[in-house]
Amino acid sequence: MSTDVLTSAAGPGTDSDADGVRLTFPRVVTSEWIKFRTLRSTIWTLAITVVVMVGIVTLFSVFFGKQSSGAQDSGGGSIIVFTIAASMAQLAVVVLGALVITGEYSTGMIRSTLTAVPRRLPALWAKGVVLAVSIFVVSSVAVAISVGVMQIILGAKGLAPDLGDGETVRILVGTALYLTAIALFAFAMGALLRHSAATLAAVLGLLLVIESLFQIPWRPLQLISPFLPGTAGANIMAPQSQLDLLSQHAVGAALSPWQGFGVLLAWVAVLLTAAAVLLRRRNA
Amino acid sequence: MIEAQGLTKRYGRTTAVDDVSFTVHPGKVTGFLGPNGAGKSTTMRMIVGLDRPTRGTVTVNGRPYAQHRAPLREVGALLDAKAFHTGRSAYNHLWAMAATHGIGRARVREVIEMTGLETVAKKRVGGFSLGMSQRLGVASALLGDPRTLILDEPVNGLDPEGVVWVRNLVRFLASEGRTVFLSSHLMSEMALTADHIMVLGRGRLLADAPVADIVARASGTTVRVRSPHATRLVELLAGPGISVTSDAPGSFEITGSTAEAIGEAAAAAQLVLHELTPIKGSLEDAYMSLTQDSVEYRSTTSGLHPDHLGTRGASGADPVRSAPTASTEGTTR
Repeated sequence: MSTDVLTSAAGPGTDSDADGVRLTFPRVVTSEWIKFRTLRSTIWTLAITVVVMVGIVTLFSVFFGKQSSGAQDSGGGSIIVFTIAASMAQLAVVVLGALVITGEYSTGMIRSTLTAVPRRLPALWAKGVVLAVSIFVVSSVAVAISVGVMQIILGAKGLAPDLGDGETVRILVGTALYLTAIALFAFAMGALLRHSAATLAAVLGLLLVIESLFQIPWRPLQLISPFLPGTAGANIMAPQSQLDLLSQHAVGAALSPWQGFGVLLAWVAVLLTAAAVLLRRRNA
Repeated sequence: MIEAQGLTKRYGRTTAVDDVSFTVHPGKVTGFLGPNGAGKSTTMRMIVGLDRPTRGTVTVNGRPYAQHRAPLREVGALLDAKAFHTGRSAYNHLWAMAATHGIGRARVREVIEMTGLETVAKKRVGGFSLGMSQRLGVASALLGDPRTLILDEPVNGLDPEGVVWVRNLVRFLASEGRTVFLSSHLMSEMALTADHIMVLGRGRLLADAPVADIVARASGTTVRVRSPHATRLVELLAGPGISVTSDAPGSFEITGSTAEAIGEAAAAAQLVLHELTPIKGSLEDAYMSLTQDSVEYRSTTSGLHPDHLGTRGASGADPVRSAPTASTEGTTR
């Protein structure tokens, strides 16, 4: 039954170009997109992101409309709700960002992934692309719905955000950018730690606990505080007036909205680089 | 074709695979045997690049696995039955894997059919039994219609029908000219499936030969001799390819000669023999004797096997110790 004479040229599947079967980066992105949307956890976390954003904005708008009697300067005050909404919605995107990669390690899927993409890094980048694009699109939708809700509730009183204002647009786009970047931060941490619980503990602990501790009025902490990922990144969602107010009392650096966001992106880049180096080296 | 050169893998101070070199040829089923912890899985993982070798190289069809343009076209690997996301359905898993290489959905349905997973393809993998997971693993391995298949313990957890199915499948794939590299710790299964056998023990390659050779080596070449003139007889028989082990004064086993040759040599020198018994072995015995020093996790019951008894002299008291009594487990050939 065994035949030694069959040469490999006569064997099956020799010419991989004949039928176009070949590994390419766009195909790895397609694969990661299929993986991303065929898990219930993805659907749930994205749905929660939208519900939390829109829910908080709706509640805020109702109360804001009742309390304000038009004394506010033309809708400028209501825009701060996006910082609050994003600080809640980030919990959902952090979970999603972490699970995208740690879920593969906890289930063993990573071995299938890295067998299909043995150079490894394309799989990491493809996951990052799919995650970033998906979260940016979904949070943009959430922001758009929120703006619509504000228009309905506060529009008549002239308290809704003014879309003709440059700063308002920066804050609205910045909210989607912040959620995207913070999800990538969790993703990079997940790629580094390869463990769901450890990653969530690290990222949420940093964002919710450690960054708050750095607000303690002790000079060394206050010098570092502006450069922590959540604190720095949130500047992109803050009105300039608020940042100016804070900088009057600030001990450390006062980062502009885009500088702050740049610092968050730098954190993401450093973690992703470390994760990439380790992914190449470590046994799967 | 899989070629390994001086492949070595260390985890900390443990050496899992120790300077192993081999070639797995196309067109036949190569069985990879060894006790648990011998380094079989580590070796297979190094072939597809999941583990980085500490030293040495391994290539598939002439290149390191990662350097192929279509890796799934070169190698289909089933390395463990738990390499799936438990929250995804079998179909979606295969679809995502296929997408990396631009393999169409028709092929996904094809491998689902081939592995008999039609009824559960839309169910989430988390609820799969070990046998179903193994079938999904085989389906994943076949996805790229690969020239080389690497299957680590594929029959583990399969029902008897599944075991026969895997056996026929790998024999068919090899007959098509593909390279099939199959690991198992079940000797009996290998005897039925493999053409060629490699035995690994404690990370070292103990044997690499056709099944027939390994069986031949195990049967009829070892002869048990008892004689009051043991020392003189041993001197007489000494030569290349002949090894002698003694377990009690006046009693020894000679490997590499035959009962006829020893008997005639003894008669020519007028030496008295009290016993002259060819010890027949099975593939299982060959395997046991090859790996007896390299079993990492041994249960106490393995001491029931005469070869593993510390008091080998005791069994020498039985003058007719031969194949049937020598092998308390497995088949005898």
